[in-house]
Amino acid sequence: MSSALLERVATGARWRSWLYRGLGAAAAVGLLALLGVLIPLDWVTTLSSVFMYIMLAEGWNILGGYAGYLNFGMVTFFGVGAYTAGVLCTQYNVHPLLTIPLAGSVATVVALLVGVPALRLRGVYFAILTLIISFLTQVLVTNLGITGGASGIYMPALPFDAFTNEQIFYYAFLFLMVLTVLLAFLIEHARFGYALVAIREDEDPAEILGVRTTWLKTQALLLGACIAGIAGAIYAFHTSYIEPQGTFSLDISIDVVLMSLVGGLGTWQGPVIGVPLMLVTAQVLRILAGELPFLGTALPPEFDRVVFGVILILVALLAPSGVMGLVRRVRGRRLTV
Amino acid sequence: MLTTISLSLLVQALINGLLLGLVYTLISLGLSLTLGIMGVVNVAHSTLIMLGSYLALELLQRLGLDPIISAVVAVPVFFLIGVLLERLLISRVARTSQTTGLLVLFGVLVVIEGAAILRWTTDTQVLTVSYTNASLTLDGIAIAVPRLIAAVIALALVVLLDTFLRSTLYGKAIRAMAQNRDAARISGIDTDRLSLLVFGLATATAGIGGVVLAMIFPFDPQDHYRWLAWAFLVVVIGGLGSIRNTLLAGLLIGLIETVSSILFPFQYVYFIVYLLLVVALLVRGQGLAGSQSRAL
Repeated sequence: MSSALLERVATGARWRSWLYRGLGAAAAVGLLALLGVLIPLDWVTTLSSVFMYIMLAEGWNILGGYAGYLNFGMVTFFGVGAYTAGVLCTQYNVHPLLTIPLAGSVATVVALLVGVPALRLRGVYFAILTLIISFLTQVLVTNLGITGGASGIYMPALPFDAFTNEQIFYYAFLFLMVLTVLLAFLIEHARFGYALVAIREDEDPAEILGVRTTWLKTQALLLGACIAGIAGAIYAFHTSYIEPQGTFSLDISIDVVLMSLVGGLGTWQGPVIGVPLMLVTAQVLRILAGELPFLGTALPPEFDRVVFGVILILVALLAPSGVMGLVRRVRGRRLTV
Repeated sequence: MLTTISLSLLVQALINGLLLGLVYTLISLGLSLTLGIMGVVNVAHSTLIMLGSYLALELLQRLGLDPIISAVVAVPVFFLIGVLLERLLISRVARTSQTTGLLVLFGVLVVIEGAAILRWTTDTQVLTVSYTNASLTLDGIAIAVPRLIAAVIALALVVLLDTFLRSTLYGKAIRAMAQNRDAARISGIDTDRLSLLVFGLATATAGIGGVVLAMIFPFDPQDHYRWLAWAFLVVVIGGLGSIRNTLLAGLLIGLIETVSSILFPFQYVYFIVYLLLVVALLVRGQGLAGSQSRAL
């Protein structure tokens, strides 16, 4: 058999597998789009939140997953985005749709302020700095006049009825989520992604081999921050009220890290798997808290933070590559047999 | 132009700054020790400080114990917590990637903070003892007694720890481990046991730091990030070189904080601190973990 034929068969097979994958993805997105008009209101809201977290987790994953630089303050960029939209919209009468890209830009600028000092350094100082900056931003927002301080900002309502409103946000988050997942997929299969993985695996040789590590890390951070900023802006319009405690809550940072970790760090599928998994877990915990008496008293709802912390420790120790790690192991076995 | 009043205000600020600086040195020691000797970035460091504050609160409310005694009680309690953390978690991740270690410690932070909120709610707490509002006045310069006590405790610990690391055989072994863990192991040093000791000591200093901070500042389960920022800044400026450098950096931060809080509203102090942190990170760059400065 000629090698040209082999090649054609192989390319054909590859094409077909890509075609199937593309069709599968399109079908999934189509189904989700259809669900937006079929399912009841509270489900629409829940799914919107799933989409939003997938956006955030995919954005986080670019630097955290592929390059191994953990950002424990993802909420900073999310909150900055939310507040940019809030301030511009209520104080400067900027059109809501225009505030969304602006929110992404401001979040990117803030990321630059964190990234430039921290990403020149090797290793783990970045992680501590992100925790610190998210605390500092919260203090700043609480004390500034323009942000309304601790009393927050009431966002203008959209001129639609409640259901249409929810659907608009559903489709906005769905659209942006699909874009983000696509972006993550493309990054994973591009030189950019390979370079980030090289940084994670061993930064010194990567640099020696010509990877511009500092610049690439900064790019990855900025990209994630921009996505988080945009998500934050839409979130602000969705919740219609933002205040520093909730909008800059560490809980969001924790959730994003945990969701990416459980799904699988450094894979585009990771957040897509991890986000629904953890949101369902949180829901189950909340129901359990209401029903299970603990030492004679009902468990307060905040105990899910402790459980999430324990899950974070256990997954990091026992299954550091998450669900995707298990999937890859099973698949790898099948292929080698 | 300095009038006599503003001069005494300045002197008072300087004294207060030095006293605070000693406390900041104390809360930074743990971070510096684990980072310099074990290479572990303990992001949960400040939650341990926060636990120390609550230990003082509980002992005061339940047993009426003075925070000075609580600072002594904190030593064995937090040493044990540190040893448990090291044995259960840190020793497991020591040989894996740094990412795993960071994730685990972030999980510890989440668990401790969550548990503290469950136990003590998010209300702000204050320790009130007989001398809380007492101050010594000398030539128009007032020094708050709690700050003085806190600073004395901090200084005592800094000197003790410095002496321990410099003059004992254990200290020498620990310094050897900081320079080269593998070589220390080959020379017959039980690095696993020393790691337990180092992490225990680091946690104990965090615990005492928390008790001491509670004498000066109000606290709640979620504002400990402030101390993480301060401790990290002290470590970055002081480097991992020696406890004496940490002390110098701590005093510097204390002075900067008190002087800038005279000049600006309090929330801007955070931004001065962040600015300093950025400058320090840019200037020190690789020097922080460089081989030269690792010789603790």
